[in-house]
Amino acid sequence: MNVSNRTGAEPAPWVVIKFGGTSVSTRPRWENIARIAAAHRAQGRKVLIVVSALSGITDLLKRIAESGPDEPAARAAQAEIVRRHEAMRVDLQTDSRAALDRWLGELEHLIICPRRSTRALDWQAEVFALGELMSSTLGAAFLSSQGLPTQWLDAREHLTAQPLANQSAWSRTLSATVPAAPDAGFERALAARGDAFITQGFIARDPEGKTVLLGRGGSDTSAGYFGAMLRAQCVEIWTDVPGMFSANPRLVPGARLLAQLDYQEAQEIATTGAKVLHPRSLGPLRRAGVPLVIKDTNRPQLAGTLIRAVASDAAPCVKAISARKGVTLISMETVGMWQQVGFLADVFAAFKHHGLSVDLIGSAETNVTVSLDPSENLVNSDVLSALAADLAKVCRVKVIAPCAAITLVGRGMRSLLHRLSGVLAEFGALDVHLISQSSNNLNLTFVVDESLADDLIPRLHALLIRADALRAEDGAIFGPSWRELEAAGAPPPRAVWWRERRTALLELAAQASPRYVYDLATVREMARALRALGCVDRWHYALKANAHPAILRTLHEEGFAFECVSLAEVQALRTILPGLAPERILFTPNFAPRDEYAAALEAGVRVTFDALHPLRHWGDLLRDRDIHLRVDLGVGRGHHDKVKTGGATSKFGVSLDEVEEFRALARHAGARIVGLHAHLGSGILDAGHWRSVYAQLASLAEGFTHIESIDVGGGLGVPARPDEQPLDLAALGRVLDEVKQAYPQFALWMEPGRFLVAEAGVLLARVTQTKRKGQVHYVGIDAGMNSLLRPALYDAWHEIVNLDRLDEAPAQMVQVVGPICESGDVLGSNRRLPECREGDVILIAQAGAYGATMASRYNLREPATEAIL
Amino acid sequence: MTTLSDPRQARAFRFIRREFADGVATLVYAFDDGPELIERVTFPGATPIAAGRRVALDAALDLLHLIAGISYYKSGVPGEIRIESTPLDASTASFLDTLYLHGLGEFAYHNKLDLRERIRFPATTVARVPAAFLGLPQHTLVPIGGGKDSLVSVEILKASGAQATAVWVGHSPLIESCAARTGLSTLNIGRELSPILFEYNRAGAWNGHIPVTAINSAILVVAAILYGHDAIAFSNERSASSATLEYDGQQINHQWSKGWAFERAFGELIASRVAADLHYYSLLRPLSELAVAQRFARVSAYDGLFSSCNRNFRILGPKPADRWCGQCPKCHFVFLALAPFMPKPRLLAIFGRNLLDDEALAPGFDALIEYRDHKPFECVGEGVESRAAFAALAARAEWREDALVARFREHIAPQLDPATLALEPLLAPAGEHRIPPRLVPFVFDAHR
Repeated sequence: MNVSNRTGAEPAPWVVIKFGGTSVSTRPRWENIARIAAAHRAQGRKVLIVVSALSGITDLLKRIAESGPDEPAARAAQAEIVRRHEAMRVDLQTDSRAALDRWLGELEHLIICPRRSTRALDWQAEVFALGELMSSTLGAAFLSSQGLPTQWLDAREHLTAQPLANQSAWSRTLSATVPAAPDAGFERALAARGDAFITQGFIARDPEGKTVLLGRGGSDTSAGYFGAMLRAQCVEIWTDVPGMFSANPRLVPGARLLAQLDYQEAQEIATTGAKVLHPRSLGPLRRAGVPLVIKDTNRPQLAGTLIRAVASDAAPCVKAISARKGVTLISMETVGMWQQVGFLADVFAAFKHHGLSVDLIGSAETNVTVSLDPSENLVNSDVLSALAADLAKVCRVKVIAPCAAITLVGRGMRSLLHRLSGVLAEFGALDVHLISQSSNNLNLTFVVDESLADDLIPRLHALLIRADALRAEDGAIFGPSWRELEAAGAPPPRAVWWRERRTALLELAAQASPRYVYDLATVREMARALRALGCVDRWHYALKANAHPAILRTLHEEGFAFECVSLAEVQALRTILPGLAPERILFTPNFAPRDEYAAALEAGVRVTFDALHPLRHWGDLLRDRDIHLRVDLGVGRGHHDKVKTGGATSKFGVSLDEVEEFRALARHAGARIVGLHAHLGSGILDAGHWRSVYAQLASLAEGFTHIESIDVGGGLGVPARPDEQPLDLAALGRVLDEVKQAYPQFALWMEPGRFLVAEAGVLLARVTQTKRKGQVHYVGIDAGMNSLLRPALYDAWHEIVNLDRLDEAPAQMVQVVGPICESGDVLGSNRRLPECREGDVILIAQAGAYGATMASRYNLREPATEAIL
Repeated sequence: MTTLSDPRQARAFRFIRREFADGVATLVYAFDDGPELIERVTFPGATPIAAGRRVALDAALDLLHLIAGISYYKSGVPGEIRIESTPLDASTASFLDTLYLHGLGEFAYHNKLDLRERIRFPATTVARVPAAFLGLPQHTLVPIGGGKDSLVSVEILKASGAQATAVWVGHSPLIESCAARTGLSTLNIGRELSPILFEYNRAGAWNGHIPVTAINSAILVVAAILYGHDAIAFSNERSASSATLEYDGQQINHQWSKGWAFERAFGELIASRVAADLHYYSLLRPLSELAVAQRFARVSAYDGLFSSCNRNFRILGPKPADRWCGQCPKCHFVFLALAPFMPKPRLLAIFGRNLLDDEALAPGFDALIEYRDHKPFECVGEGVESRAAFAALAARAEWREDALVARFREHIAPQLDPATLALEPLLAPAGEHRIPPRLVPFVFDAHR
C-alpha cells in the first residue's frame, strides 16, 4: 500500500487501525498492536485504535443477555468473564484494576437488574457493550505502559446513531446506524487532545443517550465511521487472513488473494459472503474518499487487499465468487399480478412493516420471489411467521429455505456473459430458484439449495479461471493463491519416472506405435503407500482401470484383493491368478444379466447387488448366500458428470429409501447382507469425502444385523493439472482412523483403481502431421480417442510432452489431435510444446488407468498396444 | 480366528462371574462351554469405595452383570439360563424375566422367535436383604445422548439449581460436544463389548434390537454408588410407554426400557436392593414428545450440536447432513415436532433442508401420522402428536404451502376429526411419574 507521509504545514494525518477479538486476547498480540501503532506514530501519523472484545467474551455476554430466569447460567458466564479479564490484566502487567473493576461492577449491576428477566433490548445493549469497554480499558493501560501514551476514548461520546425510518426496535438498539461524515470540528478537537487513542468498536449512543450496538461486524463499522469522521489517510483492518480472496479459501484452496478492489466491488464481495470485512464499514469511507486496507496480523509483510476508488479502465473481469448461506426466499403467487395496480406495493409494505429488508428480487407475471438475508432476527423471532401471515392476505406465500445465493462479482459483468457458458451449464444441472443480475452491472447471483453450495463453489471457481472470466494471471488484481501462501516451503513435487526412463521409452516407441508403457515399480510404490494406511482392512484393486496381467500379478503380490464389474473380468482374473481365493474377488456389476450373478455366486465370488430387481426376481439364486449391498448415499462426487456415480440421476446403487425394502427382500430370499458399499465418484482429492461416506455407511450398518465390512469405494484422486494438490494420504488415514474408532465392529474395505495405475502408465505416439488453420496450430499423432478416450469422454486433462525434445523450450500453443474422424478427437488443447516434427515421439502422461481398457477399434484403427518397461 | 460354534445351537447361557478392580467392571458370560464373553465397563477416576457403600456396590454390580447379559443372551436365546455368579432372589428373577421378555420384544418379532417359553431366570430361596440408606450426596446424574430430550432435562435441572453431572456411555464426539455445551460437569463411562459377540454375529447368530436403556441404567447405578450421587434422571417421555404394535398376542414396544413399566420396576428394585436413597426416575415422564420439543425450542445453544437422528451419527461433521440423515423416522418426527415451536429459518438451519417440502418423504411422514401405515419401530411420538403438529403448521402461512403440509391440508385433514387435532391439550403434563417433589414445579409449569 502506498500511504505517503505528508509533510510541511499540513496537520498530521490520522490512521484508524482496527483489531478483532483474537488480536486483543494475548499479551503477544497486544505487543503487536503496540508495534503497529508505534510504526504509524514514527511516520508522523496520529493513531486511533479500534478494538473488539476479547475473543469469546461476546458469546459469554450473550449467555447473560439470554439468561432470562436462569440466574445460575448468568452467574457462570459472569465468573468466566471476570476470570478472563483478570488473567489478561495480570498478563499485561498493567495497573488497570480500578478501571476494570468499574466495568465489572457495571456487569454485576446489570445482572441483578430486574430488566434481565425481560431481556429488555436497551439492557442487552448495555450488557454487550461491556466487552469492548473492558478490552479497550486494558489496552489503554498496556499501550501507555509500553511507551506509547494512549488515551482511552468512549466511542459513545462521538458516535450518535440515527434511527432509520421503519427500523424495528430490535434493530434500532442492537443493529443501529451512525450517519458518519467528515467532521473537521471533531478532528481538530481530538488532535488537540493528543496523538494516540484507543476506543471501542461495536458501540454507540442513540439520540437519547442510551447505549446501542452496531450489529454484527460492528467493530469494522466503527472503524469505518471514525475513519470517515477523521477523514483518515487510511483505515487498516487487521485480521487473521491476508485479505479478501476470489473465493472462500476453506472451500477453494486455489482462491487468489485480491490485491485491489474498488469500493463497490469490495462492498459486493463483503455483502455476498466474505466474512473478513463487514460491508457496512465501506459506505462512509467511500463517501469520504478514505481508502481501507485489510492486513494480516501474522504476516504484516503481505500487502493485503487495498480498497479504494479506482477509476481503472481495466478489462471486465470476475473478481470473486461467493456463497451466502442461510438465505430465505419468499415466493408470492397471485392469479392476476399482471397489471394489478399496487400489488407489489402491498407486498413490499408488509416487508417494511416487519422491518425486513429484501435483497434479491425476481418477478414473473404471476409470481414475485424475493430473498431475505440471514439475520438473527429471522432465526430468533417470529417475524417470518408474522410476515407470511400478512402476505397470505394478498397472495399465496411459500417460504423456500435454506438457500444459498451464489454470486459472481466483478465490474462489467454483462460483458462477460459470453464467457460463462461452462458456468451456466453447471447451474443447468441444478434446481435454480432465482437468478438476479444487478442493475449496477457488478454481480450475477444464482439462488440454489444451501446443501449444494459447498461442492459447487470450487467447481465454479475452476470453470471461471478456465473460461478466462476470472483472469487469475493479472498481477495487478490478483495476488498469490491461498494454497501458495499456506504452502510456502512445502516439498517440491515428486520427480516423474518417465523423465528418468526416457531412453528406454524411446526404444520401446521405436518398436511399435502407438504404445502404452507401464512401469511396475510405480504400481508397487502406490500400492505400498496405500497399504501403509493400517486402518483399511482389505484393499481391492478395481480391475477396470487396467487389466494387464503383469499389473494384476504385481498387485496380487502386494496383498491386494480385486474388484470386478463383469463376469469376463472375473474369468480373466482367475485365469491370470489361478491361485486366488474366490472370496478375494468382489463382483460389483450394474445392470448385468442374471447368468453373470449366478455364475459368480456359484464360483464363491463375493457379489454386490445394487438394485431390488435381482432380489425380487432371482430370489432362488440367493438362498443362504452372503451378499453385499451398494447404496446410493444421494450425492455424486467427481471431476466430471460422467464419473459421478451417486445421486438420483446416476444408475448405480439402491437409494436410501429403498434400503428397507432391499433388506426385506433379502430376508425373504434367505440371503444375508454382510457388507455395505458406496462409491460416489472418481478423482476426488479431498480426504473429508471418505470420512463422510464411511461415517454414513457405518451408522447405516448399525441398523443391520450381519454387516461385517464397510466398503467406501475408490475414487482416490490423482492430480492432473499442475495446480492440483495430490490427495493427502496421511489426512485420509487420520479421517478413516477416526471413524474406525467409533465403529470398530466393521472391517473397512476400499477399492481404488486409477490411483494405483494412472501414474504408472504413459501413452507413446508419433507425430503424423502438423497443420495451421488461422491462428490455430494442430499437432497430429497416431494415437486417437480409440486409444485414449478420457479427454473426449470426461474432458480429462493429461500432461503431454514431446519426448524427443524434452529439454527444448516450448514454442507455440497447439491442439494435440488424433487420426479419428471425430471433431472430439482432441487429446490436449492449448498446450505449449516445442516445435514438433513428423516422427517425433509424443508422451501422454497418467495414461495407465482407463486407457487400454477403454480402447476400441473405431474407424477400424487398432488401438495402442501395451508393453511393460 | 478359531471356528466358533453357533450360539443358536447352545443349550444354556451362563452368567459366569463379575469382577471390579481399578474402576473397571468385568462381566463374564458364556454359551455352554464356549469361549468366555467378557464385557468391560470403565469408570474413569473412580476412587476406592467407602466401606459403607461396599455392599451397595456389590448389589449394583450384580444387577449390571445380570442386565448387561442381554446383549449376549440374544445371540443364541437358549432354553436355559444359568446364574453361577450370585444367588438370585425371586423378585429380582421376576424383574429379569420381564426385562428380557419385553426388552427383546422387537428382536423376537423380527427374528420370528417366541421367547415366552425360553426366558426363565432361576430364583433361589435366598433371603432378600433390604438396601441400606447410604447418605448419598444430593447430586444428580443426567445421562445425555446428544438428542433433544436429555438436553431439555439438563436445562430443567439447571433452572432448578440442582447439582448435576452430564454422563454418557461410550465414545461419541457428538455427545461430548453437547455435554461440553451444557456447562455441567461431565462423566464419560467406557464400555467395551466382547469382540466374540461380533464374531458370533458374523457366524450367523441371532441379532437385533436390545434394551440399551436398561443396560445404561444399570451402569449408572454403579456410577452413582461409586461417585456418590443420590439420583439418576433419565429423559424418557410419556409416549415411550406406548406399544408400537401387537404381534401374536404380545404388545411390542420398540423402546420398552424407556417406558414407565421399566422405570417403575427398576426404580423400586434399586431402592430396595441397592441403596434406599438412590432415586431412579425420568424427568420428562409426564411430558408428551411435543411438550419436550416445545421446551427444547426455548434454548438455542444446542442448535448446531444436537442430533436425534436414528442413524446415530457418532462422527461429527460440520454440515447439518452430518448430524441429520433426513431419511429416518426420527429425523422426520423431530423436524415435525419442533416446527410449531421455532422460527422456520432456525429449524431449517438445524436440519440444513426442509423435510416438509420434499414430496419423496411423504411415506415417512404418513407413517408418523398413522396414515395408511403403522407406527414405525422407532422412538417417535404418538400419531396424535404428529397429526396435531401437521394441523398447527397447516394453519401457519409460512408452512402451509410446503409440499407435505399442503398435502396434509388438502387430502388428509378433511378425513380427520378437527377436535382431535388441537395442539394445546397435548402440551399439558399428565400421567404417572417418579419426579422428586422439589422438581415437579419445574416440569409442570410450562413457563419456567
